[in-house]
Amino acid sequence: MSMPQSTSRQRSVFERFPFIPALGILVALLILNGIAEPRSMSYGAITGLIKTYLALMFLAVAQSFVVFSADIDLSVGAILSLVNVVVVVLIERLGGGPDSVLLACLVGVLVGTLAGVFNGLVVVGLRLQPIVATFATGIVFTGLALWVLPVAGMPVPQAFWRTYGGRIFEIPFVFYVVILLAVFIWLAVRTKYIIELMAVGDNRLAAYQSGLPVTRIRIKAFALCGLLSAFAALCIIGDTASGDPVVGNAMTLYSVAAVVLGGTALSGGSGSLLGSAIGALILGLINSFVFFAGVSSEWQNFAQGVAVLVALMAGVLVTRRISK
Amino acid sequence: MKLRTTIAALAASVISIASAGAEEFTIGLSNGWVGSEWRTQMIEEAEAAAAAWADRGVTVKVVVQSANVDVPGQIAHVRNFLNQGVDAVIINPNSPTAFDPVFAQAKDAGVLVISTDAEVSSPDATYVGIDQQAWAEAGAEWLAKTLDGKGKVVAINGVAGHPANEMRVAGYRKVFAEHPGIEIVNEVNANWDQAQGQQAMQNLLATYPDIDGVWVQDGMAAGAWRSIQDSPQAGKIAATGEIRKDFIDLWVKDELNSGASVNPPGVMASALNVAVLMLQGRELKEPATAGQYGNALYLPIPFIDASNLQEVAAELEGKPGFYSYTSALSIDDAEALFK
Repeated sequence: MSMPQSTSRQRSVFERFPFIPALGILVALLILNGIAEPRSMSYGAITGLIKTYLALMFLAVAQSFVVFSADIDLSVGAILSLVNVVVVVLIERLGGGPDSVLLACLVGVLVGTLAGVFNGLVVVGLRLQPIVATFATGIVFTGLALWVLPVAGMPVPQAFWRTYGGRIFEIPFVFYVVILLAVFIWLAVRTKYIIELMAVGDNRLAAYQSGLPVTRIRIKAFALCGLLSAFAALCIIGDTASGDPVVGNAMTLYSVAAVVLGGTALSGGSGSLLGSAIGALILGLINSFVFFAGVSSEWQNFAQGVAVLVALMAGVLVTRRISK
Repeated sequence: MKLRTTIAALAASVISIASAGAEEFTIGLSNGWVGSEWRTQMIEEAEAAAAAWADRGVTVKVVVQSANVDVPGQIAHVRNFLNQGVDAVIINPNSPTAFDPVFAQAKDAGVLVISTDAEVSSPDATYVGIDQQAWAEAGAEWLAKTLDGKGKVVAINGVAGHPANEMRVAGYRKVFAEHPGIEIVNEVNANWDQAQGQQAMQNLLATYPDIDGVWVQDGMAAGAWRSIQDSPQAGKIAATGEIRKDFIDLWVKDELNSGASVNPPGVMASALNVAVLMLQGRELKEPATAGQYGNALYLPIPFIDASNLQEVAAELEGKPGFYSYTSALSIDDAEALFK
């Protein structure tokens, strides 16, 4: 190998940190937003951005786990909706005190995890194609959500969303959640499990032949996906303060887009949890930028789509260039 | 250094806008669903209404965010407006309840929030639009009257669980309950989709060949009428209609026995005129306290039937087929609501 030292080092850096192109795009978008509307870079505006897209960040990280094992979960939005209404209705039924909020959130997290396990059993146990199977389970979850709360409404206690939107020791609450998410990611990528998950995604047969419990590993990924979708639901409740049986359904494909923008291949076996979280912010910043840049209303959808494509291409080009 | 001067200049220009005071306002319009021409027309009319304020010496600048978004995406619309420093936000909301926190944030920032077309629960917002229940009642009244208070009717509704749909269902049920001779034989959902409306009507006609009336919402009416006209029962059934030019033309040509309650796309223009007057510090004669959330200002609901069909058709002459019959509060109309 006569590869120059620096290139190979560069290459290994990108292999170790596949989120770097996404980080670059994120910074570029922050700068572009700042130029188009200086106030969009204020402390308050950044806090607002995090508040709005924290749920999608969780959802994207959730999606990443199944994508790592070369599966996909098209029910994450429906799980989010289901957990949303379960928590909101439970809080109401239990009287709305601090204890009931805590209990309802715990039940919500449990419901999300169970939904994920159900997905895992359907996909892995019954050996169905994940893209269709989770599309179907998503419809089931939406049906359940509509049964729990047929019409959007039912407010949560003010303390709930005042906390989510408020500050602790002068620092916005959502920043603590972001730090928690970062710590979770930091810990998760250091586990043996993530290596096994990548191995399964890279080559399922090889992983099986080398003795890995492939079935269990994949079901666990779906369970983790459900768990984190439930956390996304708690963020949505914090930001919307109410129950809505279809609130998350449109978010499913955004979560997939965020995963890909973050440098994770849908073919599985490699990728980055941090990248997915960054991808969610990229999607948010693209929407803001299209508006701040003054795109007329008829063209906003078009411009957003093109901008997402450009971001995807930028990421791919950078990665390809480096790995040449 | 250069960047800093640019920012300073920008900041200065923002301040100068603010200090120009009563004569210059920036209003953000947010629309979270781009699935129909009605929404496009709604925004175009609002933009025209803003331009009309120039005659009064008031500059109303509108900034628009219109795209298919999920609820968080539309919350982001509002936050973007707040970051930009608008004076007011007018929103056609994707959820009745999900905006409470962000509207509270807007109010803290001194930004006026008005929702239109769909009511919101936030105490920090005002609803300016039609009463969806009264809208449905008007159509049902027409049908009951046309059938002389007796007969079998079916209803074709929009999306189950959607707040506007539920209010409309409550509206016609109330009216039909007041007419003991009217019997609702079936109610189905066709999701506000014209093709689904047509198919639902076909099924209903096959199942209940002896129905006398149909209560159907919005664009689904055009589909339902197509089924009626293709059926042996054509000419014997009265059904509610809709407000797009295509349908009005058909109505005139085939002399349909129809009546249409109007949900005008001009509601956002009306809301804009009300917003500007509120920004000028004017006070409503009667505070907006109507509706289930106690924050609504209901606009008049026009009605189209045989008595004014020709005028409506004449008014729509030369417009494209998807253009909806509309009405909006003019600046003078809106002013009449204020002290």
